[in-house]
Formats: sequence, structure tokens, C-alpha cells
Amino acid sequence: MQFARVLNALRRHASLVVISLIAITAGLATLQLRGADAFMTALWHAWDLFLFIVPSLVAGLLLAAALRQLLSPDALARLMGAESGIFGLFIATLVGTLSPGGPMAAFPLVLVLAGAGADRGALVAFILAWSLNGFQKLLVYEAPLLGLDFALLRTLITFPMPMIAGWIARRVPIAWEPPK
Amino acid sequence: MSGPQIILWVIALAMLALCMRRGMPQARRAVAETNRGFWRILPMFCVALPMAAFLSELVPADIATAWLGDDSGLSGIMIASLAGGIMPGGPFVTFPLVITFSKAGAGVAQMTALLTAWSVYALHRILTWEYPVLGWRFVAMRLASSFFLPVLAGLIMQALLPFFAINLASR
Repeated sequence: MQFARVLNALRRHASLVVISLIAITAGLATLQLRGADAFMTALWHAWDLFLFIVPSLVAGLLLAAALRQLLSPDALARLMGAESGIFGLFIATLVGTLSPGGPMAAFPLVLVLAGAGADRGALVAFILAWSLNGFQKLLVYEAPLLGLDFALLRTLITFPMPMIAGWIARRVPIAWEPPK
Repeated sequence: MSGPQIILWVIALAMLALCMRRGMPQARRAVAETNRGFWRILPMFCVALPMAAFLSELVPADIATAWLGDDSGLSGIMIASLAGGIMPGGPFVTFPLVITFSKAGAGVAQMTALLTAWSVYALHRILTWEYPVLGWRFVAMRLASSFFLPVLAGLIMQALLPFFAINLASR
């Protein structure tokens, strides 16, 4: 019983455990190979980055939570049916870009949209737009860390890509039915 | 606070105001969810940021130049796409690592391919979310329609780079 509970907790926090292990290993290696000064510099740098990201992180989370209270997936899905053409793919891309939150929010939303009538091209466009161009990632991480120039140029390049993929997905000979 | 951060706060507060107009319970739910989300992400931050900082101390300068540098071209873009696809973890891991790679000599087009592949392939996300929630047919259909996007994004960035002064290594 105890063992199963520990295993379950490990599974739920798998990425946290993996990243902790890498962090500890890298920290010890830094101490060993580069010395205590480099170790402290690295920690100081991490703290700086933390203070830099936290304001956007809180704002991003607040925006995500507020949008979840405001948006109705049903009304949006009606614009994304199999007959919706490029316009439907465009709406799906826009909704994906504006969809806040991590995978625990986005993938269940695919099911909701599918149930409300969105076709598979629109669903592929939605999930790619969320992961490629999601505004939350862009504003909380990419623009502050990599610079506004890079973030904007990269987003311009990848913005149309979900529509291209959705257009192809409507023609790929793989049958998919939303799980009931 | 920087420009994008101020924009983000303005939008977030505007959306919260919209929630309040719909009713106080909705606004209160939004704030409670923000609070929960923050404490859920915080532990990740506490290990991911030191990890990236230690790695950037350890990775020798210029080690990425040969494989992923500006002159590595298409082969560098393809290596970066593969690396991005298997990179685990959320944005709090990936973006600091991109800075680390750039300081070690990786090119902007190659890092564009890496970020795109991390978003499009996302092996860890397929295993933990996409396959369990949507099934392998959906995964196959999505990959069949999007597998070429990371390389495409890298090539477009490479073609556009001469017109823009972008330097990730100084971040």
C-alpha cells in the first residue's frame, strides 16, 4: 500500500523529480569543476531570473484563470465544423493562441470542442496553435527571456503553421473518432 | 517591469474586470485558481532555474558552435529539431536552456527549430497527455500533418535573419 502510494506520487511529480536530479548533479559538478565562486554566481543568476519572471508568471496565471471564466467553448466550436473551410481553421488557430494554461487544460478542451462540432482539421490547428503560439508562453517566458524581437519574429513565422497543418489533417487518410 | 510585462498585467486586469462585471463569484474563482496555479508551479521553478544556471556554467563556450552554430545550416536545424522534440519539461526549463545553448554558440535559426520542435513533437506531452486523452490515431494524424514544421520554421528564420539584428547569446 505504502509502496503504491510512493510510486503514484513519483509518477505525478515525474518531471519535478527528473529536473531536481539533473539540477543536483549539475550543481555538484559545477562546485567540483568550476569552484565555489561559479556555484554562487549560478545560484545568484537563477535568483535574478526568478525575480524577473515572477511578475509575468502571476499576471499570466491570472489572465488564464479569468479567460477560463469568460470563454464558452460551445459557441466557438460551432464555427469550426468540417464545412468551415479556411475560416474555421483560422478561428481554431486564434482560439488556440488565446487558450491559456498547460496541457491539463488544453487536451480536455480538445474533447469539448470535438463534442461541440469542431472537425479534426480544426482540432489539429487548435492544439498546434496553443503549443506553438500560445500567448501565455510568449508573454511570460519567451519575450522576457529571449527578447521581444526574437519572440515577435518567431511568432510571425509560426503563426500560419497551425492552419497549414489543419488543412493537411483534413486530407490525411487516418480515421479518428473523438473518444466518448 | 519591461514592456511586455506591463502589457500582460493590463490585459490580465482587464479580463479580471470583465469577470467582476459578470459576477463576484466568477472573479473570486479566477483569483483562487491563480493562487493554486502559482503554488503548483513554484517548486518547478525552484529546481529548473538553478538547473539551467548550473548547466550554463558547465557547458564550455563554443561547444555548440560546430553542431548548432549559425553556419551549421540545414543539418544543424535538423539536429536542433530532434533535440527539441525529446526535450522534457515545461517552458520554465526550455527557455532558460535556449539561453544556455545560445551562449555556447548555437545559432538563432537552429534555436527557432528547437523551440518549434519542442512545441510540435513534445514527446513527453504525447506520452503523458495526448495519447491518453485523445488516442494514438489522433497523435498519428497530428504528427503526419505537422512533422515538417520545425525544419520549415528554422529555414524561414535562416532566410530572414540577415534583415534583423537578433542575438540570443547576449540575453
